[in-house]
Amino acid sequence: MENLTQAQAELIVATIADTALANEAYFSELDAVMGDADFGTSLASGFKVVKANWETYDHSSIGALLLNVSSALTSNTGGCSGPVWGTLFMRTGIAFRGKTELSLGEIIAGLESAIEGIMKRGGAKLGDKTLLDALDAVVNSYKASLEADVSLPEAFDNAAEAAYQSRETTKGWVAMRGRQSFTGDRSIGTYDPGIVAIGDMAKAIAAALRAA
Amino acid sequence: MKKFVNDPENFVHDMLEGVYLANQDKLRWVREYNIFYRADLPSDKVLIMQGSGSGHEPAHSMIVGPGMLDASCPGNVFAAPPMDYVLECTKILANPKGVIHLINNYQGDRMAWDMAKELAEAEYPDLKIGVVIINDDVAVQDSTWTVGRRGVAGNFFIIKALGAASEQGKSVEELVALGEKVNSYTRSMGVALSSCTPPAKGSPIFEIGDDEIEVGVGIHGEPGRRRDKIRPASEIVDELFEAIYTDLPFASGDRVAVMVNGLGGTPISELYLLYGLVAKKCAEKGLAIAKNYVGNYCTSLEMAGMSITLSKLDDEIEGYLNAPAEIPIRVF
Repeated sequence: MENLTQAQAELIVATIADTALANEAYFSELDAVMGDADFGTSLASGFKVVKANWETYDHSSIGALLLNVSSALTSNTGGCSGPVWGTLFMRTGIAFRGKTELSLGEIIAGLESAIEGIMKRGGAKLGDKTLLDALDAVVNSYKASLEADVSLPEAFDNAAEAAYQSRETTKGWVAMRGRQSFTGDRSIGTYDPGIVAIGDMAKAIAAALRAA
Repeated sequence: MKKFVNDPENFVHDMLEGVYLANQDKLRWVREYNIFYRADLPSDKVLIMQGSGSGHEPAHSMIVGPGMLDASCPGNVFAAPPMDYVLECTKILANPKGVIHLINNYQGDRMAWDMAKELAEAEYPDLKIGVVIINDDVAVQDSTWTVGRRGVAGNFFIIKALGAASEQGKSVEELVALGEKVNSYTRSMGVALSSCTPPAKGSPIFEIGDDEIEVGVGIHGEPGRRRDKIRPASEIVDELFEAIYTDLPFASGDRVAVMVNGLGGTPISELYLLYGLVAKKCAEKGLAIAKNYVGNYCTSLEMAGMSITLSKLDDEIEGYLNAPAEIPIRVF
C-alpha cells in the first residue's frame, strides 16, 4: 500500500476542521438530547482558531503541524473536549514527529497512542460509549486493510464505514463517561455526539482523499 | 462594578506588567505566556514552578524569587493556565537537575499540566519532572471544578518548603516526597462575607445577601458547605477550626504553623482579630504555634473573607519554613 503524503495529511486535518465547523449546530443538538448542548460550539470554537492560524503553523512535518493544532484545540475548546481532542492531536503529533509521509502501520500506531492517551487523561475505557469506541473501530478497520493490502483510499473508505457503523453499534449502550453518563439508562438508544463526530469526519476524510 | 482597570480583557497582562516594572532586576517576563521567572535563575538545582489561575495574588505570580517559586505561569482570572503556558514555562526551566510542577487540584489545571508534562517529556527525553498535587481544603470532598479536595491557601507551605529544600540541593524525588508530606500535614477552610467580580466578567461570581456568609467557600467563589447568617467572629473561627483540627487529626503536643489568610477584601485588622481567636483555640487544644502567617497569601480578587490553615510541623519542615526567601511583595 502507498504511504499517506504530507499534503494528504494536511487535507485530513483541514477536513476535520471543516466538518467540525459545518456541523456546529448539529453536534450541539445531539448533545442536547442527554448532555449540556455545548459539544458542537465547544469543538467549533477550537477548530475556528486552527483555521485562523493555519498559515502560521509549523508545516515542516506532519507531527509539527499536529502539535500546533493540539495546542490550539487544548487552549480554545471548551469543556472536556479541549483536553480530549488536544490529546488526540498531541499523541499523534508526537508519534508523527519529523515525518513527511506515513505508512498505514504508522498511522495505526499513532492512533493507538492517542486512544491510550485519551483514556489516561479522562479515565474512560473502550465500551464507555465515547469517541474512543469510534476511534477503536477506525484502528481495527485500518488493521484489516493492512492485512488485506488494499489501496490507501480504500483503507480510508473502509475506516469511514467502520466509524459510521460504530454510532449504530453503540446506540444501544449506556453512556459511562461525561455528562451523558449522569442520565444512566436513559442514554440507551441515543447517539453519542463524539462518536457521531468521528464518523462524520471519517466519511468526509475518505471523500476528500478521493476528490483530491 | 468599580475597579482600577483599562481594558478588562487585558487585566492579567496589565497587572503582570506592573509587577515586572517594579521588579525588573529580579524577574524575567514572557508576556505571551504570562510567565515570570527569576532573573538569577539557578542552573544547579531543581527548579519549582506553579501556575493556577490569576486573581489569587500574591499567589502565584508575585511569589517568584529565591527560596520560593523559580517561575509562575498563571492563566486568566480564575482559569487554569492553557497547556502551552505550562509547556513554555517548563521549557525555560528545563535543566539536568529537573523541574517540579506544583498543581492545585482542579480538573482544568490537572489536565493542562498533565498534557504539558507529556509534551515536555517528548521534547526532552532526559528531563525529570516531578509532580505534587495540592489539596488542602477540608470544606468539601468534590466541588464544581474538582474530583477530590481543592487546593487553596495551604499551597503556601508546600511552595515555601520545596523552595527552601530545592535551594539546599534536594533531588526531584526528595522534593516530591517532601511536597506530599507537607500537603498531607496541611488543612485549610475558608469563609466568604462577600462575592467578587472578575474584571472581564463584569458581574459578581455569586450572589450573597448583606447578612449572609458562605461557609467553606472555594477560592473561585465555588460553593462551600452551606450558606449561613453572619455570626460573631469567635463562632465562625470555632466552626472552621474544628473542621480543620479534626480532619487530620491534629493532637495535643503537635507543633504547627498557623495561617490566617485574607481573601482580598478583609482588612488586616480583622485578620489579626481572627488570629487572636485561632491562637486561643490552639492553646486550648495544646497545639504549639511555631510559626504564624497573617495577611493576604491566596486571595479571590476583592472578596471579603478569610481562610484558616493549620500545618503540622516536624524538624525538617520547620527548618524549611525558617529558611530565607525573597519575593517581589515586600513592606520595606
